[in-house]
Amino acid sequence: MSSNSVKTSDRTVSQVAEELYLKCIRCGKCLSVCPVYRETRIETMSPRGKVALYRAIGEADLEISEIYANKFYTCLMCEACREVCPSGVELDVILSRSRADLAHSGLLPLLLQQLSTVIVNAGNISDEDNVQRLGWTENMASRPVGLDYSGQVEMTYFVGCVSSLFPASYRIPQSLVGILEKAGVNYALLGGEERCCGYPLLLNGESERALEMARHNVEAVRATGAPQVVMSCPSCYHMWTHTYPEMLGDDALAGIDILHETEMLAELARAGRLRFKPWPATVTYHDSCDLGRKSGIFEAPREVLRAIPELELVEMADHHGHSLCCGGGGNLETYNRELAQALPARRLRQAQDAGASTIVVSCQQCKRTLAGAARREKMRIRVTDLAEVVAEQLEEPHA
Amino acid sequence: MLDPKIVAELESVVGEQFVLTTPEDLIAYSYDATFTSAKPDLIVLPANTQQVSEVLKVANREIIPVVTRGMGSGLAAGSIPFGGGIVLALTRMDRLLEIDRDNMMATAEAGIIASELADAVAREGYLYPPDPTSDSYSTLGGNIACNAGGARCLKYGITGHYVMALEVVLADGRIMRLGGKATKNVTGYDLVHLIVGSEGTLAVVTEATVRFIAAPETERMAQAFFPKLVDAGRAINAVLASGANPSMIEIMDETAIRSVEEFLHMGLPLDIEAILLIQTDGDEADATRGIEIAAEICRQNGATEVQVAATPQERKDMWLARGSISGSLGRIRPNKLGEDVTVPHSAIPEMIARIKDISAKHDLPIVIFGHAGDGNLHPNILFDKRDPEESHRVEAAVGDLFRASVEMGGSLSGEHGVGVLKKPYLELALGPIAVEMQKRIKQAWDPNNILNPGKIFD
Ligand SMILES: Cc1cc2nc3c(=O)[nH]c(=O)nc-3n(C[C@H](O)[C@H](O)[C@H](O)COP(=O)(O)OP(=O)(O)OC[C@H]3O[C@@H](n4cnc5c(N)ncnc54)[C@H](O)[C@@H]3O)c2cc1C
Repeated sequence: MSSNSVKTSDRTVSQVAEELYLKCIRCGKCLSVCPVYRETRIETMSPRGKVALYRAIGEADLEISEIYANKFYTCLMCEACREVCPSGVELDVILSRSRADLAHSGLLPLLLQQLSTVIVNAGNISDEDNVQRLGWTENMASRPVGLDYSGQVEMTYFVGCVSSLFPASYRIPQSLVGILEKAGVNYALLGGEERCCGYPLLLNGESERALEMARHNVEAVRATGAPQVVMSCPSCYHMWTHTYPEMLGDDALAGIDILHETEMLAELARAGRLRFKPWPATVTYHDSCDLGRKSGIFEAPREVLRAIPELELVEMADHHGHSLCCGGGGNLETYNRELAQALPARRLRQAQDAGASTIVVSCQQCKRTLAGAARREKMRIRVTDLAEVVAEQLEEPHA
Repeated sequence: MLDPKIVAELESVVGEQFVLTTPEDLIAYSYDATFTSAKPDLIVLPANTQQVSEVLKVANREIIPVVTRGMGSGLAAGSIPFGGGIVLALTRMDRLLEIDRDNMMATAEAGIIASELADAVAREGYLYPPDPTSDSYSTLGGNIACNAGGARCLKYGITGHYVMALEVVLADGRIMRLGGKATKNVTGYDLVHLIVGSEGTLAVVTEATVRFIAAPETERMAQAFFPKLVDAGRAINAVLASGANPSMIEIMDETAIRSVEEFLHMGLPLDIEAILLIQTDGDEADATRGIEIAAEICRQNGATEVQVAATPQERKDMWLARGSISGSLGRIRPNKLGEDVTVPHSAIPEMIARIKDISAKHDLPIVIFGHAGDGNLHPNILFDKRDPEESHRVEAAVGDLFRASVEMGGSLSGEHGVGVLKKPYLELALGPIAVEMQKRIKQAWDPNNILNPGKIFD
């Protein structure tokens, strides 16, 4: 392994690794799938462009700077580029290492610094008092059982910041606890003890800060004594299943089975614990980057949808591993809101082209961005989370 | 560095944010899909033809080189600004302007991604046949400037066969329309097809009208495994001579197979020397009969196994392997020089043998894949640019390749163009008089030599 540690002015960029960039033969295939490139059509913003910049640092042809930072933070970290790269360039590594180098060199853009401070101080992404995490429970007909859990708990529900704190997403956790209760699962909620999973910090390039979050959350989940933890947020899920073990060591999570909402719903459906009413509709499923491409969960949500009578499931032009990011990834929404908001319309058009009247997601961030775009662009398409679909389609349990 | 006054003038034409000058931008616009690179002084991203015209007026007045660029997927270093100057990137001009069903023609701005045009035509139920493997990461303008081909060209012809009309901007900034929707037109010289394949040296293409055709009812695909590469070569000829009427015959040699298998893990056999991928189309009966004939011929010519795709998805999977070869070669060596010599059908088996000899002689891995059915083999030499001795051997091998092709009545380039990489061999292929006549054309169109100077010839 050869890597040059490059000294640029007073900043040291660690480990620009030759073997990471030499594989790029610059064919340009990544341009065809990059949502940011497809919108801007500017090479400097493209994955191939970023590899070239990274390489230029390695070859001492460029120094990292605010401009360099701008290019690397103008990215959804959706990894569609890595997925299609025939040459096997590990773009995920290049992109995340570059952000880490930038953050360590004091080049984290101001808006992202602010995000970071908020998360560290408040424990969530929206600078609310962390006890406000239970806001979503307030207008429910009955108080979720999981708030007053006792005895042997089967499962902890880790709600995630977006679902907890953004009113437009409240229906997701509300639906999920409804399903858990109907299915008779004894579950626990963490309330103010839950903190941001640390993913936005990791995306910033600040893994040390993310580590603090990881430690706290694992302890909080352990405290419930439940052998399983379920998340409706794919980013939390990806963090727990991929990054936490890397950061804390595999042992730290021993004895905790981590599930995404879609896996849990598929399992419940398989076990006959969910019975659905028919829904005569043409529906498409949007794979989120963190759950699909990055975590490899494609079939569970589709299995649940197929279990609903009369529902016709169609695929969009880009699906499964090649799914098109909704625009909500990579902290781009914080860093460059205008660009991030321009991205989801393409995805909605794909859904319409596929003939779908509803696009089902299993990510509250995707729901927020896609639903927002549908509203702005006045497109007639419904965006809803799988948990909401299931809650709506559930037959009342037999007495 | 360009005079700040000129930069300001360009900014006033396209808007400040569309004149790129940071070191990052210069790096990102310094390369195409070859192993070469050179930085421009700046990049201009025009939004429309009028802006292109204004930019060229400035450049022509100040004698600044203008290198037109699509998506930089070129394989001849055609869009690399070796002499600095302005890179004129047309990617923002990507609107589909019209689909004219009555005349069966589509009109779009030059910067549209080629596959987006083809998809739009397909949504109307028609076929725009040119299908370079890079069609989702190259522009219509780039396809026209290089006269791009593709797998389907065996039956349907290349980009130029579909171009009906162009809007171009001349070196001095004048805007000119060429051709039209009339299907027969011999009024004067055929300037449309002078621009096709001119690699950005005569004019900037800003808009094009291309024709499309009725889509065949169905397609069939088969892949045949050959223990011996030469047998595959012979089978190509036999299939062409049969009544199978294939729409494509693609070849992948041993190294190509290994390279894609490492990327895709499709379970391709690693103990054979070649795979032929054959497609037929037409109505059910024709396509099926064709593929059966082709399969039988492959078996007779030494294929140990022939698989016929049963579903559209299986067809897609088969093609995925072929479509991924070029990009996957970076797994083997950091650099590749992809040539695209094209020989007459009859010479295909011999050319394959000659390429293997050249590979052995210069001790360089040369991968063979590509649109074999039209004689357009893609010998890709794999090497490491950082090793000067190896780079030397690459040059010698390239010379041998081109000589072999020309000796057999073939061309230097079937579809990628001359750019700078094949420039030294132009006279070998065309002879001195033809080169001289081309230079005079260039001189007439671009007297100040600002449009992509140093490309095709000096
Ligand atoms: C993996 C891979 C597979 C490929 N497969 C094929 C294939 O199957 N068939 C094939 O033919 N090619 C193929 N190519 C080569 C390449 O994609 C084509 O040559 C393509 O047409 C280039 O288009 P571009 O938009 O990327 O142009 P660029 O690379 O940006 O430019 C190429 C040339 O065209 C000129 N140019 C671009 N736009 C214009 C314009 N609007 N007006 C005037 N001049 C212009 C440039 O100056 C330059 O000389 C492949 C390349 C790769 C990397």
